[in-house]
Amino acid sequence: MSATALLHVQDIGIAFGGLKAVQHFSLRLPAGGLYGLIGPNGAGKTTVFNLLTGVYNPDSGSMRLAATDLMGRKPHEITASGIARTFQNIRLFPNLTVLDNVRLAGQLRSRVGLFGTLARTAEYQHQEDDLTRKALDLLSIFEMQDRADELADSLSYGHQRRLEILRALATDPRVLLLDEPAAGLNPQEKLALAKSIRAIRDRFQVAVLLIEHDMGLVMDICERITVLDHGVTICEGPPKHVQNDPKVIAAYLGGGG
Amino acid sequence: MSVSHPMPAASPIAATPFRPTGPLMGVLPLAIGIVVAVLLHVILPGFVGPYYSRIVIDIGIAIILAVSLNIVNGMTGQFSIGHAGFMTVGGYTAGLITYYGSYFIWGTLGKHGVFLGTGEWLFAASCIVGGLVAAGAGYIVGLPSLRLRGDYLAIVTLGFGEILRVVLQQTGKVLDDGAAIRAAGWSQWLPPPVGGAIGFDGIPKYTNLFWVYTFVTITVVVAYRLKHSSLGRAMISVREDEIAAQAMGVNIARQKVLAFVMAAFFAGVAGGLFAHERGVIISPKDAGFQRSFDYVIMTVLGGRGSISGVTLAAIILTALPELLRDFEQYRLIVFALLLIVMMIVRPQGLFGIHEIWHFWRRRSR
Amino acid sequence: MADFTQTLMTAAAIGSLYALIALGYTMVYGILKFINFAHSDIVVLGAWSSYTVADQVLPRLGYDSRTIPPLWIGAVILPLIMLFCGFVGYVIERLAYRPLRRAPRLNVLITAIGVSLFLQNLGQLDFMFGASPEKMPALLPSWELASFSFGTGEATRKVVISLVDTMIFATSGTLMLVLEYLVFRTKLGTAMRAVSYNTDTAALMGIPVDRVISFTFVLGSSLAAAAGFLYVMKYPGINQPAHTVWVLLGLKAFVAAVIGGIGNVRGAVLGGFVIAFVEQFGAFYISSNYRDVYVFALLIGILLVKPTGLLGSPLREKV
Repeated sequence: MSATALLHVQDIGIAFGGLKAVQHFSLRLPAGGLYGLIGPNGAGKTTVFNLLTGVYNPDSGSMRLAATDLMGRKPHEITASGIARTFQNIRLFPNLTVLDNVRLAGQLRSRVGLFGTLARTAEYQHQEDDLTRKALDLLSIFEMQDRADELADSLSYGHQRRLEILRALATDPRVLLLDEPAAGLNPQEKLALAKSIRAIRDRFQVAVLLIEHDMGLVMDICERITVLDHGVTICEGPPKHVQNDPKVIAAYLGGGG
Repeated sequence: MSVSHPMPAASPIAATPFRPTGPLMGVLPLAIGIVVAVLLHVILPGFVGPYYSRIVIDIGIAIILAVSLNIVNGMTGQFSIGHAGFMTVGGYTAGLITYYGSYFIWGTLGKHGVFLGTGEWLFAASCIVGGLVAAGAGYIVGLPSLRLRGDYLAIVTLGFGEILRVVLQQTGKVLDDGAAIRAAGWSQWLPPPVGGAIGFDGIPKYTNLFWVYTFVTITVVVAYRLKHSSLGRAMISVREDEIAAQAMGVNIARQKVLAFVMAAFFAGVAGGLFAHERGVIISPKDAGFQRSFDYVIMTVLGGRGSISGVTLAAIILTALPELLRDFEQYRLIVFALLLIVMMIVRPQGLFGIHEIWHFWRRRSR
Repeated sequence: MADFTQTLMTAAAIGSLYALIALGYTMVYGILKFINFAHSDIVVLGAWSSYTVADQVLPRLGYDSRTIPPLWIGAVILPLIMLFCGFVGYVIERLAYRPLRRAPRLNVLITAIGVSLFLQNLGQLDFMFGASPEKMPALLPSWELASFSFGTGEATRKVVISLVDTMIFATSGTLMLVLEYLVFRTKLGTAMRAVSYNTDTAALMGIPVDRVISFTFVLGSSLAAAAGFLYVMKYPGINQPAHTVWVLLGLKAFVAAVIGGIGNVRGAVLGGFVIAFVEQFGAFYISSNYRDVYVFALLIGILLVKPTGLLGSPLREKV
């Protein structure tokens, strides 16, 4: 499996001052895989996402997406190469409409420059129409097309979470990083979310890496799980294996908090 | 969240509002604006006389400055308080071209040609060159914005204006006859003789309603099209949330610098119009913070991001003090109080990020 | 050598003024995270109220400003002016900034610009200080405390240590020591540092955040008032309140705070002296026309190399 991994991460780590937030993190995520990343609060899960997306640059190790080297890349370059993410605390563009939140992805592969934009050339119009159509399609897949003109700020919490995921999908990613998508959802919504994460993976042909606190959800849908504690990987494997690992149980029940 | 929902066969493109397309539509707003500019130029002075015509010119220049500043402060969410610096760069550059250029082209100083004659075309070109030089300055000032946020950037832009003021004060006096210009060696042209502390006197007074409102049209159309485009959405996303913007693939460094360069370009053009305005001597103090604050106030009151709101604020805040000349010393006190109260009561400005007509539409719904 | 020494002493006096003003910027920034643009106007208020006291109040009380004992100046006039400006600082915070405690920082910055414009133009009105420059009466005798000679014969150059420079240095030095004690050795100082470190947590720990912020403004404003007072002692020609000179003074002091590491009290003092040395030596050895340019060039240079300033600690945005 490791030879064909889409996202190939080896021994990345970062320290803030003296604090080693993440050490020797490795991951082999195959195309279409659905993997989980769990651990107690403060274990460094979100930091791993920030490393993978270039918000922080790893001090050491290597990261590749297929043939593209990701080390030292800026966040927007990493997004362009095919990794998209959501945020633990929702980060939509509150004063843009739902449609514009999604259409923003269009500038990523825009072929029209400043002059074409300002002169409103035919090529520009064509590209903009394309973009709008794609965005509305995406919205209708998630049953949000009738909210296209509302401000992102005015959406309900559940819709905001949904919009974040579909906005990330608009960048045409090959890997989708979801940071606690079930936070704040009720049990029923969680059930629906589990279904739709699988559906997203199948329909959009993305590999998914999921940070989640809800064990039931993670164990239910993830094929493999990595467990972090204090920045160190303490266990890695299929759900069954992780569930029974004494180190994982100790991390959750013991000092991990 | 039913993703398994079937893809709709026909795309719901009909949901987008009617929007005319085609190459003609690209130039139509400009054409309308220029026709309005011609009408203003021909009709207005006869109706209201030279004094009020000049106020209308002042308003036009203020609109260009406020709307362009709004690209940086309103759309991209940066905070520049050195906009008058870019204006002054453009004004001095344009003045240098028309003043000394006139001598080298026609052998004499002063105005040449009639309405839309050769002199005016030299003037229009000089404004654009002034804009380009200011854009270069905008690029240099915009670079620190890649590393600095918010108020640090404000200090750099403020410092830029103040440094410019000091440097301009050190320039030599204007060469005011042909003999002196011919005799001037290279050392006298560097730095150029633009009048030092007393200002650049003698610039031919070409600025008129036609050129001002032609450039107003260009500025407003560019700002509007920018706002409603992929490029503009990328700028707005930088304002809304830099980290999320990056995660969506926005090169925030590029957007910030682009915003600075565009805003500086139009400020430079406005500077060219200002330098050639009758009754104005552009001087180093125009680069200072006081003038920059005027435009900051306009963008804040109008609504950061609202092109029409900022235009309205530019009109009111330019016209009002002119009409209430007797209260000149209270002008800034009132503006300042307005700013303070506004931040407490309605911090998003009169119109927020919306255009004025959005409020009409909402009401009629 | 003589020139060098003289420049050094001027720089030390001016540097201590910058440091006094920079302290106010850095304390407010440390707690509320915005540039208090109106801070330089408190300096102006300090300068002009010094003038009003010396030129209007003292004569009416029957004192001649020239015969007043220097002790009086330090013990009565200076504390009065500091108290007055401290009160004004309190009022500004209470009315303009406190309503914006939860607002975006940019809004507070805009408000600060508004307050600054308001104070400047209010001060220019006729019933306030007026719109023309005035001459500060000499409160201090023009004593030379000491003078040294360098060189011999024709080339002899004298270096003078004047009473004014010494007083500026001594007064601001004392005030800075008092502040150092306040911030690092008292309960109130601990509270200030706690609020600066994390306002929300400080509030949860039972620290009266609003009162601490008010106190910070009072403290910063009274230091600015002292700087204004000392400034007009050295430069008796006082410019009108909205004059560019004042804004530049404030701007340089803010630059000092940034160079030292904004939010860092000791950094502000260090920055004040660094700025003054660069400015004075640049003015003397290169060209005095561009003295403001050196300061801003230094600022941009330092920000690009070490954005957090000389003594600042790195900040990370939480994602």
